[in-house]
Amino acid sequence: MDLNRIYENLKKYAHMRGIELNKDREFVLDLIRGLLRNEERYGYRSCPCRLASGDKEKDKDIICPCLYSEEDIREYGRCYCGLYVSKDFNEGKIPMVFVPERRQKK
Amino acid sequence: MLRKVKLYSLSTCPVCKKVKEFLSDNNVEYETIEVDILDGGEQWVALKELKKINPQETFPTVVVEKAIVGFDEENLKKVLEI
Repeated sequence: MDLNRIYENLKKYAHMRGIELNKDREFVLDLIRGLLRNEERYGYRSCPCRLASGDKEKDKDIICPCLYSEEDIREYGRCYCGLYVSKDFNEGKIPMVFVPERRQKK
Repeated sequence: MLRKVKLYSLSTCPVCKKVKEFLSDNNVEYETIEVDILDGGEQWVALKELKKINPQETFPTVVVEKAIVGFDEENLKKVLEI
């Protein structure tokens, strides 16, 4: 599936959830490339900014959108990798801070 | 002062890519450890090393090793932020 079509699908999905894709389009396309790369090698769209184990069951919390995205977007205006963001984030109302890893080490 | 820079990164992570660009733009020589494309054994070793300094094992992580030879008070103060 071509990158731009996926971009549009994810954009629709984000709006449905009341959030947005990061306004930095190139950055989002890079993230999508990462997701597709992980889907290709692991069989699931594991978060591009987290190391996957290759075991889908173990990694189900970091399959995009990850389990932590809702809380991270509420607290920091963006998810861990920066794909999904709040409206305020895209309008520059929220400072770009490093999102700490919420995932507990197993 | 001797210095070695290591970047622990993931090949799929654009934030890691931004750090690489930053280091290259600033002519910093660094070693990249692309942890997700290492094979099992190498990955285990790399994670063990990363964990020593970043227990959460998150990416990107830039590790800067500095060696100060002899009692070089000025550099010791600078590096140890005293």
